[in-house]
Amino acid sequence: MSRERTRQVRTRRTWRGVAGAATAIVLVGGGFAVANASTEGVKKSDVGVQRPVNKKAKGVAGVVSAANAFLNTLTSDEQSATLLDFTQANATAWSNLPCGSSCRVGVEFSSLTTDQIAAAEAVLKEALGTGKDTGYQHVLQTLAADDVLASAQATSSAGAPTDAPSDAPTDSASADPSASSTDTAVPTDAPTGAPPSGGTGGGGGGGYGSSQYFMAFLGTPSATGTWQLHFGGHHLAVNITYKDGKVVGASPYFTGVEPSSWTASDGTTVAPLNRFRDGMLKLTASLSTAELAKAKLSESFSDVLLGPNKDGDFPETKEGIKVSELSAKQKKLVLAAMRPWVADADDATAEKLMKTYAKELDQTYVSYSGGTGLDTQGDYVRIDGPSVWIEFVCQDGVVFRDQVHYHTVYRDHTRDYGSEFSFS
Amino acid sequence: MTGPRNWLTTALTRLVAGIAIVVPAVLLLGASPAAAHPMPHSVVQLDVYRSSVAARLELPVSDLSRASGIDLTETTRAQLPSRAAAIRTYLLKHIHPTTGNGKAWRVAIGALSLSRTRQTSTGPYRELTVAAVLTPPAGADVRHFTFRYDVIVHQVVTHVTLVTVRQDWANGRVDGEGTTQVGTIELDIRHMRVPALKVDLGPGSAWRGFVAMVGLGGNHILTGTDHLLFLLILLLPAPLAATGGRWTGLVGPRRALARIGGITLAFTAGHSVALAASSLGRLDIPSWPVEAFIAASILVGAIHAIRPLFPGREAVVAGVFGLGHGMAFSFVLAEMHLSTGQLVTSLLGFNLGIELVQLLLVCLALPSLLVLARLRVQPALRLTGAALTGIAALGWLVDRLGLPNPVARAADSAGSHTTALLATLALAALAATAWTVAGRLRARPKGLDPAPAEPGLSPP
Repeated sequence: MSRERTRQVRTRRTWRGVAGAATAIVLVGGGFAVANASTEGVKKSDVGVQRPVNKKAKGVAGVVSAANAFLNTLTSDEQSATLLDFTQANATAWSNLPCGSSCRVGVEFSSLTTDQIAAAEAVLKEALGTGKDTGYQHVLQTLAADDVLASAQATSSAGAPTDAPSDAPTDSASADPSASSTDTAVPTDAPTGAPPSGGTGGGGGGGYGSSQYFMAFLGTPSATGTWQLHFGGHHLAVNITYKDGKVVGASPYFTGVEPSSWTASDGTTVAPLNRFRDGMLKLTASLSTAELAKAKLSESFSDVLLGPNKDGDFPETKEGIKVSELSAKQKKLVLAAMRPWVADADDATAEKLMKTYAKELDQTYVSYSGGTGLDTQGDYVRIDGPSVWIEFVCQDGVVFRDQVHYHTVYRDHTRDYGSEFSFS
Repeated sequence: MTGPRNWLTTALTRLVAGIAIVVPAVLLLGASPAAAHPMPHSVVQLDVYRSSVAARLELPVSDLSRASGIDLTETTRAQLPSRAAAIRTYLLKHIHPTTGNGKAWRVAIGALSLSRTRQTSTGPYRELTVAAVLTPPAGADVRHFTFRYDVIVHQVVTHVTLVTVRQDWANGRVDGEGTTQVGTIELDIRHMRVPALKVDLGPGSAWRGFVAMVGLGGNHILTGTDHLLFLLILLLPAPLAATGGRWTGLVGPRRALARIGGITLAFTAGHSVALAASSLGRLDIPSWPVEAFIAASILVGAIHAIRPLFPGREAVVAGVFGLGHGMAFSFVLAEMHLSTGQLVTSLLGFNLGIELVQLLLVCLALPSLLVLARLRVQPALRLTGAALTGIAALGWLVDRLGLPNPVARAADSAGSHTTALLATLALAALAATAWTVAGRLRARPKGLDPAPAEPGLSPP
């Protein structure tokens, strides 16, 4: 071997050593730099803007104070996820589906600590009605229902589906010799196997459970400006709009539930929408055969008409029986039927709204479709006044397939989102 | 001097193996979010032909039963034919496509079938699938029409129908996979009526059809494992010499290259001729004998790779069996109901796509084929490859003869990992080239003067 070659080999070795050392220095140094940067980052974003809190404040000032107290628990990143502009796009970003952040705005409960969630719930408690099974209580029950749904679905996807529906035939049938592949792949009614679309049963990038609820303030909470409390998740959309220290809109308010009732761990039966449903049942039960015939709609419904993204789409012609044709007793039942929805707002606001709806009662219509029992898919009731709009519909269960589940929506022809937007 | 080679071989093998695992994993993980609806909606999926539109209606049974008054919720396979007349009458009342100036199209309702399915957030539900054909009056434009359709939604007013296009040759949609949404048919709540959907599929052009057909052709050979496997298994022993009924020794790079070129050309000529003849002749060939013939061709190729059956006449065999593969290609075109003009354009585009991808794949396989032949493990590799191919071919053959089996299913599914396949071929080609170059560098005489480059490939 030539001397030249030996020299070359040595030089190469030296270079390798140098390169290795350099790489090590870069890696270790880089690691330190990144670690430092990230700890600094946490410290910086930890400190969100602190806002004034007055625990003695009542009414809208109390809501603002609770909102500020919640914001004060958030990092600046979380604050910017929560505090958004009061635009039409943000205000209408709600849904009755388990579509998570793909259809909603705001900070998600799953990203918050227990203390932060408690602060968020304090905002709801301050802003919503205090009635039994309505307002704040109803919202908490809706979140609990979603946890029941989540655990039921977890069980069913683990291979033990809830009761297979007894109403559907067991042989998936085909009159065409070239039967489709889904036919042979899932021959029984039990929801076995992977869904052909959407991946996880929740779908749309979301799922069930109380951690998948979102809170946002559209506009800055204040006792003088215009802003909205925007809260919701699967089966729930709360929109309370404030202007100059007053509530100017308690709608749209979507509330649905599956399962419609269940037994909690303490043995009590929880049925979040039964109070809502019972008002409607009392109302329709009071109608005579002739009145029922007038109230009956020719169309059928498998969902509410004015769900998400149907803002401002109220039918131009009211249908059903006009409340002016009803007795004084029946009129009271109409008002009583509305109340659980209107009572989502704080008690004072609910009273004010109820007064308005009472004044307009004679121009209000009651209608229904399907049966009046509100216990079968397609059973539907509507109250449509100059201002108020309430729909209640029954659907077959999605996870609890032996139960119906309810979708309902409360809107106001002129006060949705505090009449900040015109949907023409 | 075995140290560096072993190191290089091991590294390259690991790299290939790693990539072969990672690529499909990445492909599998890429799931897309779907649009969500609380209640199942209908879908009307359109295949746009030259002078008619085929529509596939997917109707949720629950809402359909409520709207039509025909209760199908308990109907079974056996009972469906007895309800078919009522269903057809109902559908004809609610499907009215018209030309822009109001002239009615003809609507024919075909096969009906029931199945079970689910959409995002709906849970499982039963669905009626209906085949319909919509035909405009003579001379009217098939690409622009007013779709008056209110199946279900005339009664169940919350029901939504999505209208999509699956196949539209003149708009470059030819692969039959995925759909584009044309519009939604739903209630105008303010006025409580269902507006007609204006369908505008654009002007369409032969060029877009042609380009799409090139893509379809390329994709067809890439994902159709059987065609590719046939060609590759014939090419596998091309660099080997046959003596006394055995593959022994090498024939030299030039001869090997000539053989590979000849086999590829003959296969191309065979399938091109058959494709053109059966497409233009609009021959209605049943598919199973052709598919079985193809499976048999692969089996013959696999046996030939083990023991020479027809040494030196591979090109002839490739050409003859190529005829069968060409007929299979023509099924793709036959399904598309094209006009003669579209068919000729499609034929050119489709075949061009096939040849381009075939050329690419042969070029990628070339270095590996040549290098493999020289490795000590060559017989083992060749026998393993041929045995695997033979098993797949047997599985296919049994499947095409009417006995579906897991071997055929597994072999078919291999075609869905095209990225992994291409990556493996490319890496193998790189590795083979690197190995050759490394061999040559080692073969260089010691000292500082570089040796003159040798022609052809040299053994290491």
